[in-house]
Amino acid sequence: MRTQRVESSSFNALFREALSRWQEQVVQLDLVDPVTTEMVRLRCAEHHDCHT
Amino acid sequence: MKFLSACAYCVGMARSTSQFFDAVLGERAGVKKELANIHDLAWDVVDKALLSLCKLRIAMILGCDEEVESAKQYLNPSKADAITQWSTSNIFTDEEKSCLRFTEEFIIDVSSIPDASATAVREHLDEEGFVTFVNALLVVEQRIRLLLVWSKLVGSTGK
Repeated sequence: MRTQRVESSSFNALFREALSRWQEQVVQLDLVDPVTTEMVRLRCAEHHDCHT
Repeated sequence: MKFLSACAYCVGMARSTSQFFDAVLGERAGVKKELANIHDLAWDVVDKALLSLCKLRIAMILGCDEEVESAKQYLNPSKADAITQWSTSNIFTDEEKSCLRFTEEFIIDVSSIPDASATAVREHLDEEGFVTFVNALLVVEQRIRLLLVWSKLVGSTGK
């Protein structure tokens, strides 16, 4: 686990909301099957050391 | 390939990365709109000269010639030429050096960025600025990686 580097992950609200909308659009794409999608998502999470 | 809606010929006629992405994404209007939006916002919320410097380093490391040239347009030519020697050069500020160090580590091994590198950027940009910078970096990196992969699959941007 990384050391916590910031007290809050809040940042520019417009940018944060835009990133959320972008991610929502991406996960709604359905040309890649769910199992492959989940494998890629887990690989990316591991690569980024993301525990959420 | 079904996912990619543009033919190599059409994409090859595009003149910019944005036009290339529009052609590749075709009728996927939602993704196209939000991809463009996060890119525009990334450049609004982070100092453009600083982000250009980091973009140049990302494009160089990933081997994206189009984006190397694109990033250089907005940079002091001396800094652009010296960027591979940023750690020892005296023309870069401490803020630029800390952001370039973080950028290189972010691109090469994102899960192993030392705390010291993160702390150094945070000290220059403050806490919110640091989080904003990291997200902008993600947008820039993602865009260059998409450009590289899609170019391989459907042809170049035609630059």
